[in-house]
Amino acid sequence: MFVQINDLHFSYKGAHEETIKGFSISITKGEIVSLLGDSGSGKSTILRLIAGLEMPNQGVVVVNDCVCCDDCQFMPPEDRGVGMVFQDYALFPHMTVEKNIRFGLHKLSRKERNERVEEMLALVNLTEFRHRYPYELSGGQQQRVALARALAPKPALLILDEPFSNLDTSLQHRIRDDLRRLLKQTGTTTIFVTHDEEDAEALADRIVYLGEGKIKKQVMTENNKTFNPQIPCFV
Amino acid sequence: MNKKYAALGISAALTTSLLAACASTDETTSNEGSDDSNVVNVYSSRHYDVDQQLYKQFEEETGIKVNVVEGKSDELLERLNTEGESTEADLFITADAGNLYQAKEAGHLQAVDSDELESNIPAKYRDTDNEWFGLTKRARVIVYSKDRVKPEDLSTYEALTEEQWNGKVLVRPSENMYNISLLASFIEVNGVDEAKEWAKGLVNNMARDPQGNDRDQAKAVVAGEGDVAIMNTYYMGLMLNSEDEEEKKVAEQLGVFFPNQDTTGTHVNISGIAMTKASKNTENAQKLMEFMSEPSAQEKFASVNYEYPVNESVEPNELLQSWGEFKEQDINLSALGENQQEAIRIFNEVGWK
Amino acid sequence: MNWHAVKRQLNGWAILSFLAILLIVLPGIVVLVELFAPVNDNWQHIQEYLLPRYVRNTLFIMVATGLLTTVIGTSLAWFVTVYDFPFRRFFKWALILPLAIPPYIGAYTYHGILNYTGVIQTTLRNQFGITVDQSYFNIMSIQGTVFIFTLFLYPYIYTITRAFLHNQSSSMIENARILGRGSWDIFFTVVIPISRVAIIGGVSLVLMEVLNDYGVVKYFGIQTFSTAIFSTWFGMKDTSSALKLAGTLMILVIAILTMERLVRGRKQFSYASTKVKPLKPRPLQGWHRYAVFAYVSIVFAIAFVIPFTQLTAWTFLTFDTVFTEEFWQLVWNTVRVAFIATVIILLFALIIANYTRLFPSNMTRVISKVTTLGYSIPGAAIAIAVITLFLWLDDKVLDMAKALDLSQTFVFRTTLIMLIFAYVIRFLAIGYNSIESGFEKVGKSFTEASRMLGWNTVQTFFRVDIPMIKGAIMSAFILVFIDIMKELPLTLFLQPFNFSTLATQAFKYVSDEKIHEAALASIVIVLMSGLLIFVSHKVLDKEAD
Repeated sequence: MFVQINDLHFSYKGAHEETIKGFSISITKGEIVSLLGDSGSGKSTILRLIAGLEMPNQGVVVVNDCVCCDDCQFMPPEDRGVGMVFQDYALFPHMTVEKNIRFGLHKLSRKERNERVEEMLALVNLTEFRHRYPYELSGGQQQRVALARALAPKPALLILDEPFSNLDTSLQHRIRDDLRRLLKQTGTTTIFVTHDEEDAEALADRIVYLGEGKIKKQVMTENNKTFNPQIPCFV
Repeated sequence: MNKKYAALGISAALTTSLLAACASTDETTSNEGSDDSNVVNVYSSRHYDVDQQLYKQFEEETGIKVNVVEGKSDELLERLNTEGESTEADLFITADAGNLYQAKEAGHLQAVDSDELESNIPAKYRDTDNEWFGLTKRARVIVYSKDRVKPEDLSTYEALTEEQWNGKVLVRPSENMYNISLLASFIEVNGVDEAKEWAKGLVNNMARDPQGNDRDQAKAVVAGEGDVAIMNTYYMGLMLNSEDEEEKKVAEQLGVFFPNQDTTGTHVNISGIAMTKASKNTENAQKLMEFMSEPSAQEKFASVNYEYPVNESVEPNELLQSWGEFKEQDINLSALGENQQEAIRIFNEVGWK
Repeated sequence: MNWHAVKRQLNGWAILSFLAILLIVLPGIVVLVELFAPVNDNWQHIQEYLLPRYVRNTLFIMVATGLLTTVIGTSLAWFVTVYDFPFRRFFKWALILPLAIPPYIGAYTYHGILNYTGVIQTTLRNQFGITVDQSYFNIMSIQGTVFIFTLFLYPYIYTITRAFLHNQSSSMIENARILGRGSWDIFFTVVIPISRVAIIGGVSLVLMEVLNDYGVVKYFGIQTFSTAIFSTWFGMKDTSSALKLAGTLMILVIAILTMERLVRGRKQFSYASTKVKPLKPRPLQGWHRYAVFAYVSIVFAIAFVIPFTQLTAWTFLTFDTVFTEEFWQLVWNTVRVAFIATVIILLFALIIANYTRLFPSNMTRVISKVTTLGYSIPGAAIAIAVITLFLWLDDKVLDMAKALDLSQTFVFRTTLIMLIFAYVIRFLAIGYNSIESGFEKVGKSFTEASRMLGWNTVQTFFRVDIPMIKGAIMSAFILVFIDIMKELPLTLFLQPFNFSTLATQAFKYVSDEKIHEAALASIVIVLMSGLLIFVSHKVLDKEAD
């Protein structure tokens, strides 16, 4: 499996009860998975555990054959090759759009870096906004910058935390179709978190229902059948 | 580019600060250290401009660099206590004999055997073991309002506790070294009990809660808050020659009275100099001590601050001469140090703030 | 916590933070050990004759100063944010300026103005032939002390409360207005309760300054805890009892800080950076307009214009005698030492704040608390601890040099390093507090975003964290720099050879009873602080927009 998570346990400091109680999932390459659940179901926590921003009490996280986390090691987030789009985008306010996107490309040569930035700007359709600062952009544009920034270093796995929560409804519909096309186009394996079933159905190949820190059930969406018949069904 | 500037700025700041820190310590270390370096290190509680001029003159004449830490006598003494044998100081200059005694008792000082010092400074103003030497004398006198007080009514410090002066005496707070030494001298002359009675009686006769410095007492007399004040002579000199016309006017309305002329004598304190036991530049230090006791230095040293020189071949300033000669308290100045703690306790007990 | 959790905690950030913490804990331990040591004769004497007076005076000054600064600071903040009156924009920042005058300079300046040969009495006497009752003009009393502290410390409350009112209260105040409440009513029923937390934060800063002040009470001859520590130490030569007093003072300060934390609870009085609607000032009509203007002007005049003018006059009077080439050396000394110490403090503060923020745990919480408490360690304790430590250090160096057969060794004591070291211990808490609140406002998500893009914590620190809290770093720099520039007791006690600062120079002149000569050094301190305050105001104003 491309992403393999086994028996993840986690509790916040000082809390008596575990927030995550034995979460396991396998994801194939290129698949888009949605974690759906009410607030407090631990869905964002799972993302932070995969990203390496929190440390699990126990459990294993493997991404692209690379053991990110098990009982004897913990890989810091910067070494995991995981990209993340934050709920509030966290665009660096002191950098322009272009510099935000360029930020994660330090491992490339200068030439490759420039090419990659052009490519990403074109992909999210923001080429003419390259010299703007984040606060000079609309909410939808900001989200696209955040996405471009996360995708630019070609992460093995992309995770999105409530990607639509800061957008108004009409924008939300258009953007989620765009987003799905973009993710499929780049073949990015994706996990995203939402509390809106409609969002999940529109964007994901598979929906994972969460409750009380555990998986309640998993469902394949219509998308899966129409867009990606080659991905096998495994529940 | 912002982030680069930030990183650059921080590293630049760090480097400069470290360099600056090192540079500054280089300055000092090159001046300190072993015997062969040509310096003398001074802890001084005298911080008058004339002192600086004398140090400079000494540097020019001898090529010996004078390094100074200026502070209050008691702070510098405490610093000597803490540093002990590892102090960098060669000389300790203070404006009070009590602290010299304390330094000697604590074993910080060493005897200096110098014919020049012995001939320049009368035995009365030297330590019996030649561990410290006086440089200047200052008298703590009674200052009175020329309008309201007849000098004939004044006689002794003790008389100030009498009924006649109730609510009329002004004096500064007890934490001041000059007051502590004054009371310490009374303990020596009259014994603990009488000294305590005196302090109690004076508190009783005070015109107001003790506050301010010596000049403030003078001003309060002129302002009519009280009729007499206990203060050091040289402040009168400084006020009479002040750049501030009003201060001059104040001083002109005041008279100087040397108390206890028919009894135990007026209280005199000294500012003095001593060599530390840990001194690494003993020769240089001795040179500076001798330099300070020479007539030329003594004259400047004393006259600028309206103090009395200890070197008897030097005439005091004209103003001081105009006040006339007086009988000094006849005690061993070490007593000021011996009785210091007792004096502080008495002040606290009688409520002299 | 499993073992790799432990490993994750132990990184470069942790080690540097521990080192910094060690600095602060050291003098604290010196004090606490002495607090529980057996008492001596002196201590009984102190307890019987002095302690009641120290406690009474200290408490009176604290309570009175606390109340007065609150009334003045809060009312000024209220007028400036809520009403429009002549020169409002000027007063908005000018009212911070009294902070540029260190209280001890204010104290001797006011004494110089009010005393018998001061400008007021002289004018009355010479021009009008009036001689006044001295007791009305006596500032060297406990009431005078409160007056001085109030004038020069109220800006702490003013700035914090104004920022709070400006950013947080608009909806509440506007609602109250719509509900038909009058201004006085709103002030007491809405403004005071909602800005309670901000006010208490300001008051605790004021009280901390009052407790640690040495210059004012020393000059006025008022016996308080801080003078008691030094007079026991130097006068009675009793280090042990001095440290006992210091320990008592430290416990008092910790109590104040804890109370402040309790009141603050989980509430942050730092405002969120987004979605604040600033309050729009309302023009005042008729005599109200002039009444408010008059009140604000009078406070500003008494707390800044009058002392500043007097200092300027004295500077002209004595300029020729005081201004020599060495004076530049003084200015350079002051700026250099303050700069170096401030940079070091900010580096430590940034490292500790970043560590406690990135790796939250019980341990880092303790580190954060301890750093903040550094403020409570009395200067005397720091001085004793620093000297003891450096003597020990020099001994070790000497031993090492002997072992290696080196003739020349490096001596740390009586160098600037010792003084700077002491400054770092004394003022780390101030730098840390501003940096911590800067980090709090920014939050963690930018840092996390950077790490998700492949940068480690150190790279992120330089590329993201520092640029993001530039404003906080700047105001921390200014606060610490000003504080060091005017610091007295430590500088007096730990100064190296041939080293004076503007502050010690001014103080030496004052203790030689040469008030006029002290003016030049004082006014340079005031001008430099004033300039920095102005700059920081402009920067913060720009940030708020």
